[in-house]
Amino acid sequence: MNIEEYISSGILEAYVMDQLSPAERTEVETMATAHPEIRKELEKIELSMESLAFATAVTPPADIKDKLMAQVASAPAAEKATPVVEMKPEGSFGMLRFAAAASLIVALGSAIMAFNYWYKWQSAEDRLASLIAQNEQFADNYNQVNQQLDDIQNAVAIMNNTAYKRVVMNGTDNSPESQATVYWNEATADVYLSIQNLKALSQDQQYQLWAIIDGKPVDAGVFDPNGSNFLVQMKNIGPNAAAFAVTIEPRGGSENPSLETMQVVGNV
Amino acid sequence: MGLPNYQIDQDQLVAQMKAREADAFSYLYDNYSAAIYGSISRIVNDVDVAQEVLQDAFMKFWDKIDQYDSSKGRFFTWMVNISRNLAIDKLRSKEMKKVGKTDTLETYVSGIERDHLNHLSIDGIGLKETLSSLRDEERFILEMVYFKGYTQSEISEEFDIPLGTVKTRLRMGLKNMRNVLQVE
Repeated sequence: MNIEEYISSGILEAYVMDQLSPAERTEVETMATAHPEIRKELEKIELSMESLAFATAVTPPADIKDKLMAQVASAPAAEKATPVVEMKPEGSFGMLRFAAAASLIVALGSAIMAFNYWYKWQSAEDRLASLIAQNEQFADNYNQVNQQLDDIQNAVAIMNNTAYKRVVMNGTDNSPESQATVYWNEATADVYLSIQNLKALSQDQQYQLWAIIDGKPVDAGVFDPNGSNFLVQMKNIGPNAAAFAVTIEPRGGSENPSLETMQVVGNV
Repeated sequence: MGLPNYQIDQDQLVAQMKAREADAFSYLYDNYSAAIYGSISRIVNDVDVAQEVLQDAFMKFWDKIDQYDSSKGRFFTWMVNISRNLAIDKLRSKEMKKVGKTDTLETYVSGIERDHLNHLSIDGIGLKETLSSLRDEERFILEMVYFKGYTQSEISEEFDIPLGTVKTRLRMGLKNMRNVLQVE
């Protein structure tokens, strides 16, 4: 900026008369430091103001000095170290303080209530989630029980159906305690198996049911001894079966029975 | 005219004030109270209130002397600004609302001549002549700012004069005044 223009802008006069904002004051002080001619102009303005003040001086009443000197003298020396704190006008500051305190309390109250409701909402969410889970569990159990009931009803219907021949297979010398039963409908060729007692097998073995037709073994399907079903449907077996037997075979079954492993056998 | 030549160096006075020397305060009062009181009473019309402001101002000089920074201006400028601000605050407080800024500069000048003539009485008369030598618009701004305590922006708003114009006129008024007063 042009120094002449800056000086003639009137900002220096305003500075001397303390009429500038803090930012403007800093600007003038920076300019005065950087430019000696501005510093000089400021001094001129100050001196002219000072001259004006002295030219228009008014002597105050004499008793004022006495009061002031008494005030200065009464101030203890220790007060020198104590910074003088300017008191704010009580009224507006008091109101402000009250308003601040009030708004703080309101804010605090709101925060507590908000947390309280959040907490309640959160625990309600939790309880709802656990109720939904329980409900699903009940539904599963119901379906399972329902399924078992259906199975039992079907089994009972088959057992009570006179069209099915009941063939009890008793344990051989290999396993005298074992027992299983075949329900065979000769007309429809449906075969169902119910296990009363068969020993557990290793993972690579399975039981295999055979029907003996015309002296020859016919595959009727493989099964595991620990199946949960009350009755297991096996492969259909046509007419003229004379007996049923169960052998132990490699998992997946064999084409021809390993007769030496026969567990149970029963004639039709 | 110019400054009283008997005054001790302002820097020295400030140093003694900071050392809490009551003698320095006494010296300060003897040499500056009239100039300060003149500045105050031009803003505050009521004599009792003006005296109250004068006391407050001098106590503030004493209490706040550590805040004075000589790199930012002369000691007198610092004092007169504190006094003017105290006077303006007082003028604007509720109790002073009804007094208002109504008197003209002439009242003050004639008041100085008539009532409170002191060691600078001749200067008081000289001031009137000095002021009358200014152009009307410059004198008006000077009167408002210097004698009534208006800020430049207040004048701009209240009398609908662009702020830049206010600044320029104040500056020219002061400059002309300086020439007449032969300050250098």
